[in-house]
Amino acid sequence: MHSVRLRFQKGDAFAIAAVLLLAVMVFVAFIPSDNGSAAYAEIYLDGEIVRTVSLAEEQEFTLASDYNNTITVADGKIAVTASDCPGTDCVGCGWIGSSGRSVVCLPNGMEIRVIAQDGDVDFVVG
Amino acid sequence: MSILWWGEMMGKTKQIAICAMLIALALALSYTERFIPLQMIFPLPGIKLGLANIVTLVALYLLKTRHAFMILIPRCVFGALFGGGITALMFSLCGGILALSVMAFAKKIPAFSIYGVSILGAAAHNVGQILAAMVLMRSIFIGAYLPYLLLIAILTGFLTGSISAGILRAVPYAHISLPAEMSK
Repeated sequence: MHSVRLRFQKGDAFAIAAVLLLAVMVFVAFIPSDNGSAAYAEIYLDGEIVRTVSLAEEQEFTLASDYNNTITVADGKIAVTASDCPGTDCVGCGWIGSSGRSVVCLPNGMEIRVIAQDGDVDFVVG
Repeated sequence: MSILWWGEMMGKTKQIAICAMLIALALALSYTERFIPLQMIFPLPGIKLGLANIVTLVALYLLKTRHAFMILIPRCVFGALFGGGITALMFSLCGGILALSVMAFAKKIPAFSIYGVSILGAAAHNVGQILAAMVLMRSIFIGAYLPYLLLIAILTGFLTGSISAGILRAVPYAHISLPAEMSK
């Protein structure tokens, strides 16, 4: 253990700055262009769209694949309210209602995307 | 650190024993950290301290890079076996291998101490996992989580870096003898 650097040094600030820069770049790339009221949500299983739900009508249903996700729509928002997947991070994502937001359940391969009324979600890429 | 000559067989046995011990330690740490409610401070799905990365980091500094990989990969496989399944395996391998590769490279750069190496490793781990998620979900939307994960990686990377530094400072006093082909 000759040239082992175990103390925080100036160069480490560059490592922090690099990570911060990457975070800001990715953040900017994913800002949804439309923050207006969302009209519906698309639900995907393993990348394929399986269901489209309107956020205007309150409903609750269970989506079964590898696991069961209970999806609830209320007050123009959508959420996974119960799941038997390991971790239940999808439930932890909470309620989403603005376009461009999404909830994912990785174990189930499920994704909910909120879409604006006029069609596709656009991104500001930069 | 005292390096003893163990002979060919003795060296091999000891290498296996040391790797096995560190794999077990990493598994124990990743199991333990599930009970640390980090989500209560940062309400983001899937975040963790990355305590198992301490083992990878110490192995990287104490042993040869290939030994660090020999510890990392079985750790991911056993971790998936004990809980998580094939999805978890893909995630931890993508994150872990990218993190270790970045750390092995960053360690060679004189500007970075173990803190910088650890922070870059933590960030690379998140990038690897998000990339795996994008492939798995066939969607780039999940990338929107990456900035938050990266901010937390700076904190957790600093923490694991400082713990690893403490361990590495103590190791010379522990009278551990490593086989010659294993130590730096």
